[in-house]
Amino acid sequence: MEMSWAFMEKENRLRRENGLERENRLGRENGLERENRLERENGLERENRPERENGLERESGLIKNSRLAKEQLCVVNTTGSSLDGMASGTNSPAITDRAEKIFSTADVSAQNMDILPARAAQGGNTMGLMEKLGILTDSAKYDVACTSSGVERKGNGRDLGNCVKEGICHSFSSDGRCISLLKILMTNECVYDCKYCVNRKSNDVPRATFTPDEVCKLTIEFYRRNYIEGLFLSSGIFESPTRTMELIYRTLYLLRNRYRFNGYVHVKAIPGAPPELIQMTGFLADRMSVNLELPTAEGLRELAPNKHRRNILTPMRQIQNGIKVNQHDLTVYRHAPKFVAGGQSTQMIIGATGESDYQILNVAESLYQRFDLKRVFYSAFVKVNEDKALPALPGGPPLKREHRLYQADWLLRFYGFQAQELLDEKRPFFNVLLDPKEDWAVRHLEQFPVEVNRASYELLLRVPGIGVRSAQRIVAARRSARLRFEDLKRIGVVLKRALYFITCGGRMMYPTRLEEDYIVRNLTSEKDRVQFGSDGMSYRQMSLFDDGQYNIKPDPGDVCRVVTGQM
Amino acid sequence: MRVYQCEDSLEGVCTAIYRAYEDHAEHRDTWIRVDKELMLFGEYIPVETDLERAEKVMRTLRRRFGQEDYESLGLALTTPVPEKAQAVYQTVAYGLRAALPPGHLLDHQTDQYVLQTFQLAKKAGREYGQLREFLRFRELDRGILYAENAPKCNVLPYVMVHFADRFPQEDFAVRDIGRGLMGVHPAGGEWYLTDSEQLLRALRQVGYSAREMAYEELFRYFCHKIAIKERRNIGLQNQMMPKRFQKYTIEFAKKT
Ligand code: SF4
Repeated sequence: MEMSWAFMEKENRLRRENGLERENRLGRENGLERENRLERENGLERENRPERENGLERESGLIKNSRLAKEQLCVVNTTGSSLDGMASGTNSPAITDRAEKIFSTADVSAQNMDILPARAAQGGNTMGLMEKLGILTDSAKYDVACTSSGVERKGNGRDLGNCVKEGICHSFSSDGRCISLLKILMTNECVYDCKYCVNRKSNDVPRATFTPDEVCKLTIEFYRRNYIEGLFLSSGIFESPTRTMELIYRTLYLLRNRYRFNGYVHVKAIPGAPPELIQMTGFLADRMSVNLELPTAEGLRELAPNKHRRNILTPMRQIQNGIKVNQHDLTVYRHAPKFVAGGQSTQMIIGATGESDYQILNVAESLYQRFDLKRVFYSAFVKVNEDKALPALPGGPPLKREHRLYQADWLLRFYGFQAQELLDEKRPFFNVLLDPKEDWAVRHLEQFPVEVNRASYELLLRVPGIGVRSAQRIVAARRSARLRFEDLKRIGVVLKRALYFITCGGRMMYPTRLEEDYIVRNLTSEKDRVQFGSDGMSYRQMSLFDDGQYNIKPDPGDVCRVVTGQM
Repeated sequence: MRVYQCEDSLEGVCTAIYRAYEDHAEHRDTWIRVDKELMLFGEYIPVETDLERAEKVMRTLRRRFGQEDYESLGLALTTPVPEKAQAVYQTVAYGLRAALPPGHLLDHQTDQYVLQTFQLAKKAGREYGQLREFLRFRELDRGILYAENAPKCNVLPYVMVHFADRFPQEDFAVRDIGRGLMGVHPAGGEWYLTDSEQLLRALRQVGYSAREMAYEELFRYFCHKIAIKERRNIGLQNQMMPKRFQKYTIEFAKKT
């Protein structure tokens, strides 16, 4: 043991005295890695160095041809080491080639390369990292998606990081939401004027823009300390969608290729940006999302004058197709680079415009069906601006409504329900007291009770108190034995809720009445339920999902959001 | 009634299982214990851990029950529950006798030992998950990352596997305060466990790196800023993140 400690000591001495030797031995020798290490060792003071020194100045107006453009794009914002070293660091030929091709054809190259104008560069000069982080976290917090799920990627023995399929939450903020990713905006210097948004152009709020390097450093240093699972990078519109997307792409490029980060990355695709840029970014990200913002085109017109429904759906379609093509490629070439492996998601703001739950659920359903989205997130509207176009919301953000939508969303995805079964034109809003599945069941009492020893799997799934896992287990277990109520309990059925809807061997558990009012009264009796409220939400509220330990295993990210009502 | 008394480890219990099979024991009338408490009327047989035999048993378990169930057996043995060895032993005996196919060992929860093993594994699995989430490293001088915690279950090895895969080129150490154990991972090397006091002292002498406090402050600020005050819900926060883990995280702990 002592030997090993000595080994570690020696390692460190070696590293301290001569970074080069060690890097050599590890077979990682190239200018980039070394420089990266040096930078890390130099600590924070470097991070506030002006952009000019960081080589940004070099790029503006200097780019003569596409090859140089590519290099600039790849290595922007380095700390003044030679271009040769950097070029050798970009050891992902597929990406580099693609970059070269695209930048030799697309009009996003040359003249648009000076992404950060002097204003931002000076910002880098004067504003501390802490202040920037504060502003750009504050601006990003209303984005609800924070899962790090959907990708399983083992470490490669060389780079920093891996990905765990179920995702990992690392902390919980004082609103009870999970902190899984470093969720920040690239910039809040936004040229758009969305009425619901705190960063809109017409607001007088502090503005800041990260440099790609700053984002990378924060990600790496937070990740090494196990604060986060990765990066969630969103952005306001910096001058134009194209420039914004370029900035995001550069950041990801640096993070993956220079900082050698192998953890989870979720980025926004900016509507209106060139498809080539979105495509390239997709090869560096684990998840991408385009925000639908508001459920309908009318809502969008009303509150987000610079955004258009079609602009939003175009990149969504592009990413969907990209994923499809990539899946095919991956079956042919196992080592083909992966494109948005964790799938695509979106989010809508609930309660800023007048849509009904029924409309919203229909939109979600068609997003799942027509765009193959992995997740649709719902974000209870928080009123941050005074604007007569916005609703008053005296009761605060519509959290209860958001919660019901998440539950219904779950029914669409895992329980075989369709939107029009849960709601319709005449009943366009969810019941406040019952969850959507209970609500459906009491309105369809003609289908109950079902005999658990015979009922089809699909029908079992519709019984309140029976989840996906317990339905599966019932089907498996009844092959070998006739099930009794005790067995159901062991399997994980929540009998308290299910007993009104099932028979076992032809008998009900207790004599009950199959009457809507009677059942509703019992299902909603106070003592069984924790109340919704601004405080103290608990697992118990996941009435849809709490059929004991055997329920379908949602990823931890999902669990916390089920609980916070924003699963 | 026969009682095999073995070391409190996966290898110890596996050696005892080997012995029980070697002796053609009547399983339902045989015990494996990792604690020293005596049972009345027992014939006590001390078992020395034998890595070769343990390895054989472990291979068999992995082959017969599949990797996932094998890991569950291992996790069950990390719990601080004295009856765990008996539960695992009887579960294994049950599974081998019934020739259960891989992945189905823990389905048969009508058996009390299988159920107990399942519950123990779940408990340890949850704690392992929590450490993956809530463990916090602090950077010492020379870039060494150091974390400590006091888990109820002995899940440190599992934790080390996770972080070794994640941080292959970092020097890091994770200390289980309660057990006085430390997992050490030299950059680019293999990790190991140690209870060396000397190593701990040496580590303690290394101060925090110059920028450590700055990054801790940045993260604290981030956690503060990411919360939406209109949704404030401290009860939920505490429920999702148990207090006993909060105290080891830098965002909750008092500044040091
Ligand atoms: S585009 Fe609209 S929503 Fe996004 S930051 Fe700008 S104003 Fe806010």
